[in-house]
Amino acid sequence: MFKLTRLVTLADAARLAPLADELRALARTHTAYRTLVGPTLPGSHCGGDLLAHFAFDSAEQRDAFGAALAPLLAGDAVDGADYQGSPGGKQAPDLADGVYRVLLLSVDEGTDPTIVEGFEAETQMMPHYIPAIRNWQLSRAEAAVGARRWTHVWEQEYADAGGLMGPYMMHPYHWARIDRWFDPECPDRIVDARLCHSFCALEASIL
Amino acid sequence: MTADDPTAAAPMVHAIDEIVAKPGEGKALLDDYLARYAPGARARGMVLEQCLVSPPMWLDDQSNTLVFRWSLAGPGAWWQMRFVGGNNPDIGAWWAEVDARAVSRRRFFAAAPDDIESLCDV
Repeated sequence: MFKLTRLVTLADAARLAPLADELRALARTHTAYRTLVGPTLPGSHCGGDLLAHFAFDSAEQRDAFGAALAPLLAGDAVDGADYQGSPGGKQAPDLADGVYRVLLLSVDEGTDPTIVEGFEAETQMMPHYIPAIRNWQLSRAEAAVGARRWTHVWEQEYADAGGLMGPYMMHPYHWARIDRWFDPECPDRIVDARLCHSFCALEASIL
Repeated sequence: MTADDPTAAAPMVHAIDEIVAKPGEGKALLDDYLARYAPGARARGMVLEQCLVSPPMWLDDQSNTLVFRWSLAGPGAWWQMRFVGGNNPDIGAWWAEVDARAVSRRRFFAAAPDDIESLCDV
């Protein structure tokens, strides 16, 4: 599964619907086997106006799509990553009418790889403690665009936005355990403070 | 805070700083923490519940360990503190200075055992 995610902050808000249509059409011509293009929901932070996510069978297909996509977004601010979706988990493969959320994050350059692996392992345990996370993938970025050199893509699916805003945020495994990797007051911090937290409506699971 | 009683107060949660000062730095670091860090922390909703020094004497050739236990009025207050503090570069600069004057440091978050069930009931 070779994936590409873009968070687009539009220079002209009126372009949202036509651009979304263009992206979906482009994905069809490039035979993306999964496509999600939708306006971001309130509560997103540095998450853009439009969330666009695509999956392909090969890196070559994905990269060709990425090259064709770039001119369409040339006038907009874009954060995003190209990555190979890491095996995650599916508690709800038939999830419908839910919410897809993606977090782009940047681990400091030079961080000890063993520490990075510890961060990844703890993050991947979040669904174990927080069942509101129905499906998930934590992947390392192969390429990044935007405000930071994004290193990781943390994707989740929820039954509704309440699962993200409630259990995900308020469970102690998040704020009392995982967040220390992000908190500039904690000596364990390895993640840059600039994050892209973006979510949108989801018709059917894409993870 | 339980599903049965949504009006109940959220369980208190705690932020604990444990700083092992460089030899001879303990007293000065404690004074700076209280004078320079504590006022801003209080403004972010933190209440300093306890301050401990180990061993209970000032060492000039060895390390003192300083422990500060703060309370917050539940996870919502914790996130409020976190969002405000996380966006203030002065706080990051403060901790960088502390780390230069310390042998080691930990910050961790805790609650009373009796509050675990309700904290996990989200």
